[in-house]
Amino acid sequence: MKPSDKLIQMIREQQIRPVPRWRFTLKNLLLWAAFAVAALLGALAFSVVLFAIQQTDFQVISHLSHSRLELFLGLLPFFWIALLIVFLLVAIYSIQHSPKGYKLTLARLVGYSAALSILLGALFFIAGGAQRLEQAFAVNVSLYESVQEKKARLWSMPEEGYLSGEIQQTSIGSFELEDFEGKTWTVGYEGAFIPPVVLLERGEKVKLLGKMDGPGRFEASEVRPWGGMERKGRRGSGLGSER
Amino acid sequence: MHITKDTCRQLSDLDIIRRAMEEVDYFSCLYERYEARLLRYIKRMGALTEEEAQDVLQEAFIKVWKNLHAFDQNLKLSSWLYRIVHNQAVSCLRKKQSFGKDQTAGFNEGLLAHIPDGGPGEESPEALEEKDQHIHALLNQLPLPYKEVMVLKFLEDMSYEEISDVLKIPEGTVATRINRAKKALRKLSGQTTV
Repeated sequence: MKPSDKLIQMIREQQIRPVPRWRFTLKNLLLWAAFAVAALLGALAFSVVLFAIQQTDFQVISHLSHSRLELFLGLLPFFWIALLIVFLLVAIYSIQHSPKGYKLTLARLVGYSAALSILLGALFFIAGGAQRLEQAFAVNVSLYESVQEKKARLWSMPEEGYLSGEIQQTSIGSFELEDFEGKTWTVGYEGAFIPPVVLLERGEKVKLLGKMDGPGRFEASEVRPWGGMERKGRRGSGLGSER
Repeated sequence: MHITKDTCRQLSDLDIIRRAMEEVDYFSCLYERYEARLLRYIKRMGALTEEEAQDVLQEAFIKVWKNLHAFDQNLKLSSWLYRIVHNQAVSCLRKKQSFGKDQTAGFNEGLLAHIPDGGPGEESPEALEEKDQHIHALLNQLPLPYKEVMVLKFLEDMSYEEISDVLKIPEGTVATRINRAKKALRKLSGQTTV
């Protein structure tokens, strides 16, 4: 018997049938869907990484007198960086296993996936979505330490010259501040640098550079806005620059 | 239903696939059309007997039959068949664990001269056969990733694009592997005496 006849006989006897076309179509669709979802989630993760970087005053760390590396590592948004990497890997895997995916080199696969996530992530960040996403995460996931919590931790070291909180009351040359742990401080700001964006009014959240001047007293050399979306609404008011 | 050779000859690859979907006997046309080329390729890929090579080809064609709907018509059918046959052959050879362990052939620096830089020249069938044997002995000393690109490029006379489609690797990687394979052969020549 010829090998070709043997083959046909085997197909007939074992009733081997071609796998239906829809299965291959479905597989390809799933791969592209996985790529799209992974790229999108990677973009969201990247946007929060951007937000975390924006919110973290890395330059402050260089002024700290101890455990700079520890503090720096503690402030990095590792959770989101890890998510970004995971979603990038899923996106790369999906596109690589698509019908023509093998034509792309690893460098191009990584480049295209990363570029898409970076582009979409930057747009999401600019639109303000990153902060909302991060806050939603902080509210719903109890174990998660939010960017704001990390930031508050960094700016709650009065002995090191860093203090933050909400202004309770203002008077000429000083104001009363309640820090994020609920402790009240009297802050003097004579001669301090205050950018125009800071209003120095009750309910405003600020961060201060300066030095501790006794129990419950702090002398500010610089008053900065706490940052985030609250700041945006006040920008351009023109107040504060004359102080 | 018996399909004559004449009938098969008149059909294109795609015609055969379309007809085979309706009548499985047409699938034998495809087998017969590519049998010789693919068997030769399987044997070039490793130390397999005629019987083992036939088994590999049969198994590969069962996979071709099962995955007939997965064939992308933008691809050359031959590249797709080579891909399935290649995977089946490599799987069989791995089972036999024959790669690199039973290779005792000596190395001849002169054999390198048989590896052309471009496509095949106009050589007689005897010269081609002799070249084939020389290069086969030489290629058996290479690791699989290098050996497979060299076999496809210089013995199966495929373009970089076709090799890329068979092995599912980028064309740039094909070029890199061919260059490295050539270097590896030169290095081997320095370590082995004839």
